[in-house]
Amino acid sequence: MKNHKDNTVSTLGMWLFLLSEILLFGGLFIICSVYRYNHSRIFHLAAESLNRPLGALNTLILLTSSLTMALSIFFLKNRRSERSLFFLFLTIFLGLFFLSNKYFEWASKVHHGVYPNAPVLLERERGEVLFYGLYYSMTGLHGLHVLVGIGLLSVMFVSVLRGKIDHERILPLKNTGLYWHLVDIIWIFLFPLFYLIT
Amino acid sequence: MKTYIFVWLSLVILTGLAVSAAGMDWGGWSLGVALGIAFLKSGLILNYFMHLKDERGLRLFRWMIPGILAILILFIGLTFLDVAFR
Repeated sequence: MKNHKDNTVSTLGMWLFLLSEILLFGGLFIICSVYRYNHSRIFHLAAESLNRPLGALNTLILLTSSLTMALSIFFLKNRRSERSLFFLFLTIFLGLFFLSNKYFEWASKVHHGVYPNAPVLLERERGEVLFYGLYYSMTGLHGLHVLVGIGLLSVMFVSVLRGKIDHERILPLKNTGLYWHLVDIIWIFLFPLFYLIT
Repeated sequence: MKTYIFVWLSLVILTGLAVSAAGMDWGGWSLGVALGIAFLKSGLILNYFMHLKDERGLRLFRWMIPGILAILILFIGLTFLDVAFR
């Protein structure tokens, strides 16, 4: 009984943390929408120059990684730790795949001289400077969250492998899953904001 | 497990819809369509992957998330009232 209560409190704490993350990104979303409102024409042109197919691919990667995360927890609950480890590994792999796409996307922008405080960029209109400033800071902060998530997932992988986390002590894996799904949800809003709404 | 795969399929289909809708000219509606699909997708993830609909341990869960969303919407509303009528 006591264990059950501890679990509830731990899940509640995790949710409180996730909600604070929503407010953190929410503030950035507000800044972004206000600047979009003030510079709508330039934001429109800048958004069209982003690589939409790559953005869509990254969305599919994160959605699939959410599925593999959920399956990993499902199999560990049913005492199938090998399958759980397999899906956990797949989740980590998809997270790294997402980051490597992000790297190539950023690298091609930087190659064209478009990065914060770049001389080429500063010569352009103010709206475009704002757009790329927001693009780099918001996708960058999100990428940092993916990186932390990959770190947490790797710790979980080792813990399941060593039997420290099993069907009875599954809570750390569940909370890591909650975090990973939230990172996915944030991307679900970032993707239309930067790549789709033009 | 079937539910998970079904939810994932719906998420993929919704993403396809969002991308193809962005390719068409919806005028003022394009923002609404894109955001509506994003809310639908996050609702699916929250309820099925994050098991929010099964959290019955504490009543707080039922109030926390709408509460935070209300605060966020309030902030967005107040900000735009300021920006639009300045």
